Amino acid sequence: MIGEELVQLLTPEGERVSHPEYESSLTNDQIVSYYRDMVIVRRLCTESTSLQRQGQLALWAPIQGQEAAQIGAGRALQPMDFTFPTYREHGIAWCRGVPPADMLRLFRATSNGGWDPQKYRHSVPTVVLGNQALHAVGYAMGVQRDGAEEAVMAFFGDGASSQGDVLESFVWASSYNAPIVLFCQNNQWGISTPMSVQSKIPLYHRAHGFGFPGVRVDGNDLLAVYEVTKRALDNAREGGGPTLVEAYTYRLGAHTTSDDPTRYRIDAEVEVWRHRDPIERVKALLVREGTVKASYFDEVAEEAEGIALQLREDVLAMGKPDPITIFDHVYADEHPLIDEGRREMVELGVAGGGH
Amino acid sequence: MSREVFLLPDVGEGLVEAEIVSWKVAVGDAVVLNQPLVDVETAKATVELPSPFAGTVVELHHAVGDVVEVHQPLVSIETDASAPAPAPAATPAEASPAVEPIEQTREAVLVGYGVGDEGAATRTRRRRGAPAPVAPAPVAREAAPALAPRSTPPVRLYAKQHGIDLAGVRGTGRDGLITRADVEALLVGAPTPAPSRPPVTGPATPTRFVGHDLAPWASGPEVERIPVRGVLRSMAEAMTQSAFSAPHAAVWVRVDATRTMELLASLKERPALAGVRLSPLAIVAMAVCDAARHFPGVNSSFDADQSEVVVRRVVNLGIAADTPRGLIVPNVKGADRLDLVGMARALNALVDTARAGTTAPNDMLGTTITITNVGPFNVDAAVPILPPGTGAIVAVGRVAPAPWVLDGAVVVRQVTELAMSFDHRQVDGALASRVLRHIADYLEDPGPRLIAG
Amino acid sequence: MATTTMTMAKALNEGLRRAMEANKKVLVMGEDVGKLGGVFRITDGLQKDFGEDRVIDSPLAESAIVGTAVGLSIRGYRPVCEIQFDGFVYPAFDQIVSQVAKLHKRSDGVYTMSLVIRLPFQGGIGAIEHHSESPEAYFAHTAGLRVVSCATPEDAYWMIQQSIAHDDPIIFCEPKCRYWEKGEVDTERAPRGLFEAVVRRPGADVTVVGYGASVRTMLRAAEAAEAEGISLEVIDARSIAPLDLDTMAASLERTGRLVVVHEAPHTASIGSEIVSALTERCFYSLRAPGLQVSGYHTPYPPSRLEEDYRPSVDRILDAVDRVMGFES
Repeated sequence: MIGEELVQLLTPEGERVSHPEYESSLTNDQIVSYYRDMVIVRRLCTESTSLQRQGQLALWAPIQGQEAAQIGAGRALQPMDFTFPTYREHGIAWCRGVPPADMLRLFRATSNGGWDPQKYRHSVPTVVLGNQALHAVGYAMGVQRDGAEEAVMAFFGDGASSQGDVLESFVWASSYNAPIVLFCQNNQWGISTPMSVQSKIPLYHRAHGFGFPGVRVDGNDLLAVYEVTKRALDNAREGGGPTLVEAYTYRLGAHTTSDDPTRYRIDAEVEVWRHRDPIERVKALLVREGTVKASYFDEVAEEAEGIALQLREDVLAMGKPDPITIFDHVYADEHPLIDEGRREMVELGVAGGGH
Repeated sequence: MSREVFLLPDVGEGLVEAEIVSWKVAVGDAVVLNQPLVDVETAKATVELPSPFAGTVVELHHAVGDVVEVHQPLVSIETDASAPAPAPAATPAEASPAVEPIEQTREAVLVGYGVGDEGAATRTRRRRGAPAPVAPAPVAREAAPALAPRSTPPVRLYAKQHGIDLAGVRGTGRDGLITRADVEALLVGAPTPAPSRPPVTGPATPTRFVGHDLAPWASGPEVERIPVRGVLRSMAEAMTQSAFSAPHAAVWVRVDATRTMELLASLKERPALAGVRLSPLAIVAMAVCDAARHFPGVNSSFDADQSEVVVRRVVNLGIAADTPRGLIVPNVKGADRLDLVGMARALNALVDTARAGTTAPNDMLGTTITITNVGPFNVDAAVPILPPGTGAIVAVGRVAPAPWVLDGAVVVRQVTELAMSFDHRQVDGALASRVLRHIADYLEDPGPRLIAG
Repeated sequence: MATTTMTMAKALNEGLRRAMEANKKVLVMGEDVGKLGGVFRITDGLQKDFGEDRVIDSPLAESAIVGTAVGLSIRGYRPVCEIQFDGFVYPAFDQIVSQVAKLHKRSDGVYTMSLVIRLPFQGGIGAIEHHSESPEAYFAHTAGLRVVSCATPEDAYWMIQQSIAHDDPIIFCEPKCRYWEKGEVDTERAPRGLFEAVVRRPGADVTVVGYGASVRTMLRAAEAAEAEGISLEVIDARSIAPLDLDTMAASLERTGRLVVVHEAPHTASIGSEIVSALTERCFYSLRAPGLQVSGYHTPYPPSRLEEDYRPSVDRILDAVDRVMGFES
């Protein structure tokens, strides 16, 4: 499965390996810091799953197994870059500075979005598969017209790779040489649909057909994801056009908390991928190279625990919004039907009823 | 320390219940936040539920194998003070569920919190600000505005069917809406005077109607219901029976009654007739009896039960009488045998008795032919309904001066109209015409016939 | 007052030009809009004057035209997308309904979807079915979108500029069969607001409401009705969503009779909406139920039959007869 085309800089056992084109540029401090990111993001994810199991979230989309893909890509971004996520980019959101509680507003069912996309330069969650890839290309065309040195990153998964919007985004990105990185997390499963149904060729090969480079990177290798993404982003900023990055990874958990993956995949496969756990890999590297003291791992775990408890507290404090907010921001300008709806709700005595 | 109850949440698995697969804790165990408590299985998946509390397990509400409904108690935990602050929640009687599911009244489906309780089948919220009740204003007509009459289409249809033109009407409903009640008010001319006209109140004295004193227009109720009893019931039943059993037809004729009136005037001056009220009715009565004698078939009735026509050789002459009790039809028995004076006296007695309300039931039985005199009401004619069991009824209108062609010249004569309704089952138009012509001839020249008697 | 006579096509072209001059963020994008100037030549000469970066000849994929316009809008641009024909808008339907309409809300007001989607619509040009459809109701139904339609060159000139300047996403429906009709255009002053209906011809007996290509048909019907002694008040709705119900209700309260004219099938149409909304508003003034003169519930027919499908003077007059025939 891990062929020679796969860019890997760190083995599952935590050993650095060389690659003819890529070399890790990460400092020890960066690796230590990104390890912390991954642990926290995973802990936030397990806390969110618990909250869902305890009836406090409508749904949760876990990212276990994809932490390196998201932290590697997220940390390769520059502050002025702009990202267009799906609904599973919690690690990217973390890197962009989105408060964890804001990430859960969608799942707590108190918002259709959750955060200020311009403030964090991280767009709102997109649930319709692939729509955001076109938004990202359009945004990139705007960057291009502004003459700005910014890159744009669109996220999607193997599931969305069959969507017309994703493939159209390849055409547009290529035709207009847009400053964009099309970042595909191939986690092998679109709910129950296996990769083999989605594509008969490796996904990253598709880029060549559209006229731009595609790279497959070990999505569970923090160091490799960082380097591949960084180079693609730099290339975009410098006018080199789009790159498709296929982060080859695995969804260790369910598609969402409403899913039961035991129905469509075998435990042995999951076990193979557990062996390739992205966090354990970096931990092994840090231990192997003696980068941190042994106590560091407990400190990070403890910090993550605190952040998780804070998240729990913040989520439980999110009450039902005032119903009158239904009418907010439907239109930028006045609209008679919005006025009518507001008026009716006030007359019914519903408005102001949030708690 | 407080006792918290963890309710089985909707885990989004699509079902409303779950089966306990295995407990991972026992009563007395200490648990930490998010520690696995139990595996539950829905038809869709087995799910591990983490504890929302830290503390000590004090009760497992169900045994392995039990099927638990969503939002029912699963496990109770005695929490310690250091446990994370519970979410604010409503407090049931015995325990405070620190973590109650976010929506307790939802029904699980495939994804999400489940389907929310869309509300009981009763109103739970106050009505939206209902306008304060407004005292009804009188329906008013005003100068026609540019707008179409504001009313509901059904009310418009109602008005149309009753010939009410709504143009310019301002109704008593909200914003001048014309209501059905407004149309009804316009129909009966109820208190809906136009501001530009003086109010029409009618006379202040009561009037008689079907045996009742009706209150004046202005002071009586808008709608008054009168029980159908006594005379009214008799009239109603008789007219209904007659109208729906005897096929009515009618003939009528204008009559120069000048000589009748001259005769009556001359007779009144005779001392022998002092105290006898002589009216045209008496002459008509004599004429009808004479006609019966000439055409007995008109003095008949149709017995459907026996399939026979009953012809009578005696005239029990019915007189439709307007009395305080209402319309009654007493008769003069053997009227065909009376002379004019006898007829006049009999009629006087009959009318006096009827007006006194002392008419005996027997006086109303056995009528063979009837006269209804609408002349006192100053109308020209009527097409009456037959009293049941009779073959003909003659209506007499007022006698009034009118132009009349006499010998080729238009002259003013005392003219009246006669109409006769007859039961067309046994009386045909030819017979009826002959009878009525006979009566007319009698009135046009009563003298010789009275004598010929 | 600078009044010029021009076709609707030229008025749109001039309006676009003026909007692009006024704001450098205004872009025009779509299939064949650059060198060719669009299949209807609405964008003729714009690329030559404003460059390929602002007048973008796009690959042939409608979802991408709109989807990338969303991204450009997020970036602060004001894209004007041309969908070549009404029947080609459906590949972009997902982007329009799921994203264009809702991103302002989803972002809690942070994103402004300042984009215009130009849609040559309605039939009457003898073209194939996909070049003749009336899909406006699909978009009017979607919260977050606005839908307008021009019926005269003057409205075309001003409404396109007003739409581009507006911060909400607007589906701009152009009656393609009227592109080459000429009219007076006051190029100095916009005659009215973007979302206002206008009484094109006053009348007393029946209120007739329509938009786009139907406006001229309604005016002709009003002339014919006048000859028969019936007075039609013709209202050009102009804004399809939201509807200017105030203007329509003021008319209907006087006439008590309503006929709505449009080319789409009548079920769940703009006509249905107008009849429904005005029945609610003017119920107590109605002399007859509101009627629709519309396309039939069929696919757009082969164009040899289109004049039997589209509202005609005869069909409008027939509806007028019917509303006049109700007891009132």
